[in-house]
Amino acid sequence: MRSSLGERSLLAVNNLLLALFALSALYPFVYMTALSFNEGLDSVKGGIYLWPREFTWVNVQTVVSNPLVRDAFWISILRTVTGTAIGVIVTGLAAYGLSFRLLPARKFLMVYFLIPMLFSGGLIPYFIVLRDLHLINTFWVYIIPTALSVWNLIVMRSFFENIPEALIEAAEIDGANALTIFWKIVIPTSMPMIAAITLFTAVMHWNSWFDGAFFVNQLELKPLQTFLQSMLANAEAAENLRQGVNAESIGAEASKAVTPTSLRMSVVVLGTIPVLLIYPFLQKYFVQGVMIGSVKG
Amino acid sequence: MRGNSTNMNAISQAVRTTAGSQVWKRLWKFRWQFAMILPGMVAVFLFNYMPMGGIQVAFREYDIFAGVWESPWVGLEHFSFVSDPEFWKVFKNTIWITVLKFLFGFPAPIVLAIMLNEIRSRRFKRIVQSLTYMPHFVSWIIIAYIVEAMLAQSNGLVNHLLASAGVEKIYFMGEEGWFRPIIVLTSIWKEVGWGSIIYLAAIAGIDPQLYDAAKVDGAGKWKQVWNVTLPNMLPTISIMLILTIPTLLNAGFDQIFPLQNPVNLPISEVVDTYVVRTGLNLGYYGPAAAIGLATGILQLLLVIGANSLSRRTGGSRLF
Repeated sequence: MRSSLGERSLLAVNNLLLALFALSALYPFVYMTALSFNEGLDSVKGGIYLWPREFTWVNVQTVVSNPLVRDAFWISILRTVTGTAIGVIVTGLAAYGLSFRLLPARKFLMVYFLIPMLFSGGLIPYFIVLRDLHLINTFWVYIIPTALSVWNLIVMRSFFENIPEALIEAAEIDGANALTIFWKIVIPTSMPMIAAITLFTAVMHWNSWFDGAFFVNQLELKPLQTFLQSMLANAEAAENLRQGVNAESIGAEASKAVTPTSLRMSVVVLGTIPVLLIYPFLQKYFVQGVMIGSVKG
Repeated sequence: MRGNSTNMNAISQAVRTTAGSQVWKRLWKFRWQFAMILPGMVAVFLFNYMPMGGIQVAFREYDIFAGVWESPWVGLEHFSFVSDPEFWKVFKNTIWITVLKFLFGFPAPIVLAIMLNEIRSRRFKRIVQSLTYMPHFVSWIIIAYIVEAMLAQSNGLVNHLLASAGVEKIYFMGEEGWFRPIIVLTSIWKEVGWGSIIYLAAIAGIDPQLYDAAKVDGAGKWKQVWNVTLPNMLPTISIMLILTIPTLLNAGFDQIFPLQNPVNLPISEVVDTYVVRTGLNLGYYGPAAAIGLATGILQLLLVIGANSLSRRTGGSRLF
């Protein structure tokens, strides 16, 4: 069937609007990357839209050699790796245990895990608990309190419930215990879902800034996003970034062209790139993950 | 008779012990599963249930050395915020933002999904999808920098463009009036692509014969969307609507806090940021915990309301 002229122009407008919106989602990252690779003083004049006019590594070099930024970056990496591993393991194990239909007290246990979704004690009592447990001002305040995610627990449990029982029974007959079955059968068959949950957890950790801002005082323990947040609130903090400028290695002329804005943009790029780099590879998994969560949740 | 009853006793005794040992047997059979659940149970107890017990702080004069359980009771003193006009202003700000976000943010992914569905080229569709999902994975802190880079008065991109077009520059972050539009727009920009995934799946599940039938009846594109696509998305839309209700008190701390400044504070201060400022920054634990408790209860009522609404509309219960 041939479509009418009206319909074809409607389609064209639709495609155009979508293309514009998609570009608007991409553009700010392009813009900030261009600024972070452009000479700071030159950027002030404006007119940089897509790529650097006076290309330079100085901004990025300055930021990367700054000890504060470097510490923050490593804390972010460390918390993302550790927090994701512990979070996925603790949540996944609990979800698997709860997926057994004959488990005694299963109803009670599910209610126990679901109540926190309905009601929470609020921030202040939470903070007091963290302090009573001596987690304040430690690295572990990033890891332990988020080890169990109720939402992920629900998603993972409903996925595990749908694994064919025949697979598991066969292994039971062979004398495998629950842990072996989990490791040898359940994990391999649930890989796409686990990949999605892992991605979500990792992104959550990488992007967290609240805990670093309010539960930790030491600068050397703050993750990159908290560092960025403190720089946002305090314009002078960007000046501190210049500490890293090593006039000898970069050259006095070049280091003079560095501006607070160009340095800030470089840290922003540093804070964005890891997520944007891994994301295209995992796209097919996370779409699946959303669907599992929504259909079953 | 007597012999009979002792007999019965013995039997019931035996039944009871075997029942008892059967319970143990069942528990023992599932020992691995319990061991797997235990770490998660402990974490939930420590970080979800213990704070619930800590709500007492709202009724006590919290003394850091005495601890939660030994601090003196002060009754409802900390709930004096209900007669504080400052609090109600903050509450009003919260409702403004959540309602605006709901009005514009809820339909946005539905519209986007319908538009995406009309794309013929698979490649183009994939690219558009990938790009629109992207901002979802970026932190609100980065978004705040993007807002700054785009809207700053002196060297923001938008003002550069305005200036080169001969229009006077606008100080977006320095005027109260721009705050709410910025919040609503950035939240749509960040989440609309991600939110469209579920609606795309709903559209994909529609029987193509329905469209063929509509075409035979002479329905154009608009009519097809209106009479076929939207009605078939309705179950998904109503589920999402119900899931949104409990968030109606949540203005979005992570988004708002980084964008606050002294100028927009009269409009940008919401309940969550107020609790952080008075509680964590200034140390007024009691009043902040009291506000936290009040919002927690309101939130619970919203969840219960959403759940009964879901049941009444024939949908499944949420919990």
